[in-house]
Amino acid sequence: MEKPVMVVGLDESEHSFYALEWTFQHFFSPPENSPFKLVIVNAKPSPSSVVGFAGPSAAEVVTYVDRDLKMIAARVLEKAKEICTSKSIKDAICESVDGDPRNVLCDAVDKYHASVLVVGSHGYGAIKRAVLGSVSDYCAHHAHCSVMIVKRPKMKH
Amino acid sequence: MEGGVSSGGATAAPLNVLVAIDDSDESFHALRWALDNILKQKSETDQNSTVVTIAQVVEPLPRYAFPVVETASKVQEENAARVLSRAFEMCRDSSLKAKTIILEGDPKDKICRAVEEMNINLLIVGSRGLGQIKRAFLGSVSDYCSHHAKCPVLVVKPPPKKT
Repeated sequence: MEKPVMVVGLDESEHSFYALEWTFQHFFSPPENSPFKLVIVNAKPSPSSVVGFAGPSAAEVVTYVDRDLKMIAARVLEKAKEICTSKSIKDAICESVDGDPRNVLCDAVDKYHASVLVVGSHGYGAIKRAVLGSVSDYCAHHAHCSVMIVKRPKMKH
Repeated sequence: MEGGVSSGGATAAPLNVLVAIDDSDESFHALRWALDNILKQKSETDQNSTVVTIAQVVEPLPRYAFPVVETASKVQEENAARVLSRAFEMCRDSSLKAKTIILEGDPKDKICRAVEEMNINLLIVGSRGLGQIKRAFLGSVSDYCSHHAKCPVLVVKPPPKKT
């Protein structure tokens, strides 16, 4: 029988990688009889969402920004593949998709018929979240499957 | 570091799960889904490491109507007991260690407090699937918990409505 799919959204932040490690620790060890199939999805934002101005020099800046974004995405995937290998997970799918993370992750859920979507959370407060937007918020409401939001524990002393 | 990552460990880490339920269908669906898709597999691979705590939050009854309070609170107790024992049975059927608790007060608050006090690794809540506007008016426990709980939160969506 096909294993249910767990999609993990990954960007270059530490929170994302913490979420990935947490998922490995609880659902993929031991790796041989893990109940899930792992799909790691990185969203590469389009340069136009990052470059905020228009004008004659915008075209050049966009090329540089795009090159940078491609490098970042490649680095994230590279690191994700390394982690999978180091945890002996052989059949994981790692891919990078262009677009807004919110849509990319929800689309990936539909594409792979995932049972669970795992996302990290920056732990923004309400105001930052309203201004900057929250991928984990959007996914929790719009993904067509259950959503696991993994936060890094804050150290309180 | 609390919640630190084990490197290349072959055994699964112990998981303390808190499932928040009330007597709604969505809650039980969430519990059922979590048992079938997430927790059963863990119990198969590692018998003793997953402990499920089922928490039911009851809103305290208003204290102003004196004669009504006694019977009403008794009914509430019986309801709560019934909900919890049904949930407990579901866990037992999936061969999971479970315990039940009743929390009294505002659900959002109490659930997040319980997560801290009981050292929970994963909080599981159902979602009523309310739209944006309803959620703003009625409030959403799953929303609040996913932002304020100090541990990872799994929000289980209601099954798609069959029209």
